[in-house]
Amino acid sequence: MAPRWLAAAVFVVLAAFPLLAADYWTGQLTRYLIFGLFAMSLSLVWGRAGILCFGQAMFFGIGGYVMAACTMGMLGGALTSSYFGLAAAVLAAAGFAALLGYFLFLGRGLSGAYLAIVTLAIAYILEQALKSSYTLGADNGLSGVPPIDLGLFGASIELWQETPRYYLVLAVIAAVYVALDRLLASPFGVVLTAMHGDPRRLAFFGYHVLSLRLIVFVIGAAIAGLAGALFVAVDEFASPTLIGFGLSTEVLIWVALGGKEMLLAAFLGAIAVRLMESTFAELLGDFWILALGLVFMASVVLLPRGLIATPLLWLTSGRRREDD
Amino acid sequence: MAETAIILLNMASYVLVLVLVALGLVVVFGMMRVINMAHGELFMLGAYTVVWLQSAGAPFWLAVAAAPVVVGAVGLVIEAALIRHIYRRPLDTILATWGLSIALKQAVVLIWGPASHSVVAPMAAAISLGEFTYPVYRLLLMAVAVAIIAIVFWIFLRTDFGLVARAVIARPDTAAALGVDTRRVYRASFVIGTAVAGLAGALVAPLISVDPQMGLGYLIPAFISIMVGGAGPLAGVLVGGGLVGGTNNLATVWLSPVVAQIVVFVLAIIIIRLRPQGLLGGRDGA
Repeated sequence: MAPRWLAAAVFVVLAAFPLLAADYWTGQLTRYLIFGLFAMSLSLVWGRAGILCFGQAMFFGIGGYVMAACTMGMLGGALTSSYFGLAAAVLAAAGFAALLGYFLFLGRGLSGAYLAIVTLAIAYILEQALKSSYTLGADNGLSGVPPIDLGLFGASIELWQETPRYYLVLAVIAAVYVALDRLLASPFGVVLTAMHGDPRRLAFFGYHVLSLRLIVFVIGAAIAGLAGALFVAVDEFASPTLIGFGLSTEVLIWVALGGKEMLLAAFLGAIAVRLMESTFAELLGDFWILALGLVFMASVVLLPRGLIATPLLWLTSGRRREDD
Repeated sequence: MAETAIILLNMASYVLVLVLVALGLVVVFGMMRVINMAHGELFMLGAYTVVWLQSAGAPFWLAVAAAPVVVGAVGLVIEAALIRHIYRRPLDTILATWGLSIALKQAVVLIWGPASHSVVAPMAAAISLGEFTYPVYRLLLMAVAVAIIAIVFWIFLRTDFGLVARAVIARPDTAAALGVDTRRVYRASFVIGTAVAGLAGALVAPLISVDPQMGLGYLIPAFISIMVGGAGPLAGVLVGGGLVGGTNNLATVWLSPVVAQIVVFVLAIIIIRLRPQGLLGGRDGA
């Protein structure tokens, strides 16, 4: 786990960003922060609990579409509040994950490569289904999603501008990060680490591995759903690409490049890759994706702990941790 | 009657191509536990080899014959540069080969552009079935596919190399202790797997649009076929590919292609969940 002073420093730098940057970049970074939150959800599920979910975007997409459907008034006028939309998005993603996780993990369950391919196939199915669902806009998705409205009791405080939106997103992410950091430092976090190491031995100790897996999977999905909901409110657009294969594998790359075992590294990995994408995409053109693929390949082989986590580990705890 | 025949023929040709793709994948997965996410891109490279050689003036069949050689050579480089380093980390092979798949796809975009290419079928002839006609090339494709599948089975079940390879699958350490160079067996199997993928891509090139995304459409069904059939015995591929491909193709007679695919995937996932070792048994899924 990253030391707390480091995480605090990262959030302070992020908080200072809009003071120094143009509005355009604040808007872009808002989106990258949300992708970072999404990456944290996968880091929790994959890096900390050993559940390699190749279809994490399904929860992001569910959250996004539920948020869009609520705030656009598709469920009726009474349910259009942003608060309700966010809650429904988180609950829908978590509920779907609970059902799916129960189906996948019960009994001998699926794990490792089989789980990866099955979750990938499910994300693919959901994307295909969404693309042919006309009530949800099919290929075109839902556009014109209203921004987050913090008003209560009839008053309306819509966040149209980049800077307040940025700070709202940053505050939500900081809260989630602190909560997860606490969770992982608690006895529950220790049990999770044990489960990652050897689930069978943990079962011998009397722990119920199925419920542990389910809990982590559901928490991860809830965070991904929250990220999806924030994303559509910021982007004002929900499209089938949010749910499927492409984003699922992209988030995997962010998390693996950053460092899957360290939430902060995964978070920064997502932001770094997106930032580099927007700067290098112009410079390198089509070569950027080629370079990303090659760098990813090299990092998996040479630095499996991640390009950001490895130096952070050196920095904070000396080289000894590397050898375990 | 003739209509039924055409439906069955289409089904058979889809199933055979799927089995061909899955066969290369299972040789690598069953043997080395390497999940090759770039397999679809090797299939794609086979098709692009035909595009490339045909545009250089080579006849179609020469291009098809060259595809497994070219793609097999690419496979050799991939094994030496990448796969060799991560044999002992099966889950990392998913990630590393995913990076490879992105890189290969983008390399193809850079060379041939993102648009789709078409390959001219070597023969326009068609045989008539009652009031319908059926292209001879498809029939030929099926015959060639059956022959290749038979050859791969023959290699792994009847030759000395196959015997050694199966020994390495069953007990890698014992095989190594008995003097088998497991490294070389892995390398040879990986190259065979990639060459078969390349050949499959070359053969179907005239039937589908050749574009950088073409691999993905076959990769997921191929993986699902392997898991449904069972990754242990080679014959699992025939069962899995037959079930997944056959059901998918047959279902499109009544359902839209998207719904058919969804139905098949859901059924397949349920089978995989209930029998993780696959319908033909064999070793457990790792």
